[in-house]
Amino acid sequence: MKLSLRTRLLGAIVGAVVLIFLSSLIAARTVLARDLYELGSTEVASQASAFGGYVTARKDQIRLLVAQEAGSETVRGALQSHDLARLRGELSQTAGTSGLSFLTVTDVNGRVIARARSSAGGALANDPLVSRALSGETVNTVALLSPSLLQGEGLALQVGHQGRGLALVAAAPISDEQLRTIGVIYGGVLLNHEYDLVDQATRAIGGASAVLDGDTVVSSSIQAPDGTRVVDVAVPDADAVIRSGQPYVGADSEGGTLYLARIDAILDDQNHVVGATWYGVPMTQITDITKHTTQTLVLWGLLAMILVLALAIPIVQALSKTLVEQSRKVREAAKELGVLIVGSEVSGDHVAATRQAVERSGALIDQVSKKPDAPAEIGELKNLNAEVESDVTVIETLATEMSNRMQQAVDRVAELNDVAAGLNEIVTGESGS
Amino acid sequence: MPEVILVFASNADAMIATKALKDAGVAAKMIPKPPGVNSQANLCLTIDGASESQATSALTGSGVALGGVVKAGVSA
Repeated sequence: MKLSLRTRLLGAIVGAVVLIFLSSLIAARTVLARDLYELGSTEVASQASAFGGYVTARKDQIRLLVAQEAGSETVRGALQSHDLARLRGELSQTAGTSGLSFLTVTDVNGRVIARARSSAGGALANDPLVSRALSGETVNTVALLSPSLLQGEGLALQVGHQGRGLALVAAAPISDEQLRTIGVIYGGVLLNHEYDLVDQATRAIGGASAVLDGDTVVSSSIQAPDGTRVVDVAVPDADAVIRSGQPYVGADSEGGTLYLARIDAILDDQNHVVGATWYGVPMTQITDITKHTTQTLVLWGLLAMILVLALAIPIVQALSKTLVEQSRKVREAAKELGVLIVGSEVSGDHVAATRQAVERSGALIDQVSKKPDAPAEIGELKNLNAEVESDVTVIETLATEMSNRMQQAVDRVAELNDVAAGLNEIVTGESGS
Repeated sequence: MPEVILVFASNADAMIATKALKDAGVAAKMIPKPPGVNSQANLCLTIDGASESQATSALTGSGVALGGVVKAGVSA
């Protein structure tokens, strides 16, 4: 299928605009997506650090509470006098007002004297944190609590099938007036299924937060599509963080939502990895910007294309019209010159045929002059004479016709020169001479 | 076969037709327009009646418009 010059010109203009637009769009989209991802990663790292700060602040708060209780006259006096009712009351009140999951006092041998939320006895001498506190050290860390300890504190149900629990804990020695250690106070917040910390962080810094024991989420503000919390599920990317201690930054799908997430290892005070924090922002926050920008670019691109077409169409129309007009002139000139050429040939043929008739007529006249009584020759001579008369009329007509056409041909040649000059001006922009 | 006269709209068409018929191998002779033939042109062509269909095909193929065909001795 042959396309008109107008269609091809407009097609070339539209094609060029579309090509430039598409390559710009792809470049802009690629750069934007990459830059936004990098910006998002930086933002997530910053917010993850803020979430880590919340964990640390809560841990420090527990240390302060436990240290204050260790120095409390009420606790010391109740322990020395073995006033269990008063001791339990004090522990229970402090744990209740401070949001501690457990607060326990042991004697100097690590035997449990009183618990804030349980009446169970038991011995904690083998617990490493209690053991360190008994040696005079105030310990504050994130720790994995054993099932037996959780059982004693009445917290086994809170951790569920996980068995062990991840907790912010502090243990401090209780000393008498002579500064001799007479016991230990040990307390903390069990993070499993405890949501104050993650909810507080989410309210303050946005996004979603979670705390992981190993690669399992034990507490989170991540919402599933049905509105429930995403908890007790595995985060595969956390496994490498737990093993290497190195943070992970990247895409992570939780509860049916794709997040740009950062996972950081939680270290205890001995620099052992005991868990991980997870912080993420929905990936749509980044992709929506790219999508919106792309849509805006497409809109502007279409507007630009319409503008280009609005400018180009009249130009192409004018150019096409000029070319069509010049083409018509050339075609008419060619036809005129063609008639002239054909007329020359036809005239020549006719003159030659007339010449033959005249020669034949001359021969017959010779014959008749030598032999006057020749009726056949005289008849033929009459016919030839009539034919020659007709031929002469034709020759006169052709001569007049050719003369007129010769003049027209001269005019047409001048027109062709003008056409050539016009075309040259269209192509080069210079006036032809 | 009696001769037939081919009539055209212009002398230019008559000239082009002459050339077209010559190229097609049809013998044609240019004559002045006979009295009684209605045409703008002063020239006509006369051909043998047996060649009429061949002539009209050749003229159609060459894009020459035939103004009319007159049988010899019959007014157009």
